[in-house]
Amino acid sequence: MLEVTVVIEDVDAARLSEKATENAASNYALNVSLAERERTTDHLVLSYSMELTSQPQTARFKVSGSATLKGTRDEIKGGITAPDSNRPPPVLLLIYERIYSTVYLLAGALKVPHPMPNLLKKGS
Amino acid sequence: MIQETGTGLYSGILRFYALNDVRKYMKELLERYQRDYDKSSNVIGSLLRTEGGKGMEVIMSKGWAKVGAMFVDITDPEKGGMELTFQLVTEMKPRIAKTEEVLKTFESVEALPIPTDATFLLYLHSGIPERLVIDTTEPKPESYAFKGEYATIE
Repeated sequence: MLEVTVVIEDVDAARLSEKATENAASNYALNVSLAERERTTDHLVLSYSMELTSQPQTARFKVSGSATLKGTRDEIKGGITAPDSNRPPPVLLLIYERIYSTVYLLAGALKVPHPMPNLLKKGS
Repeated sequence: MIQETGTGLYSGILRFYALNDVRKYMKELLERYQRDYDKSSNVIGSLLRTEGGKGMEVIMSKGWAKVGAMFVDITDPEKGGMELTFQLVTEMKPRIAKTEEVLKTFESVEALPIPTDATFLLYLHSGIPERLVIDTTEPKPESYAFKGEYATIE
């Protein structure tokens, strides 16, 4: 079974507008990138970087770190392959799930809208 | 089942995507053997020092009897256990020496003209790295990268 360990290495959170409130509509754009850092036959270490920007731009969160996938070659391949062009690779959903609580708490501290836990392809 | 002491000695084939990973794996293997060897030989050494002057008789059990196809010690478990530890230490010496030798001379393998996309099959026999296949039929997967734009909408 595929095991995924997510480590947050860097977090940057900013309140971009004095007018921001927690009660405003929570719409965030999310730019993500994943890159291979290290690979063996039974594990793959990825660097990830996620930038969430609220729409309109009242808050921004940047989170980066590493995700280690441990499993067989097929399990690892399954973890990094998007099921179709509209859905993210499973590992990306897992990373977002693991960092979500950190971003949620920061949003509360900054008094900006809390991002939602769902992840949709832009434009879909 | 709890492993009392000793190293799980693997026989099998392992695939690596980089020659440096092969070296790293063998180095870790050697360190593990060395740790287990030190641990077990300390147990033997400590007993021999405590029972000074008695020599090997303190670790040789007279309670062994052949039962079926194996030897069983039912009468002297303390010495029986110690004798097994001694046997383990004795068997580990050549294993450590061979693994050390493979590592010391691994530079000559690294100097071979190896295609950049080759992978490596390492054959271990009872924990000893014995053979290496430079496999050009199954290349290393391409480096993974992904970029995407998403949204979280209320």
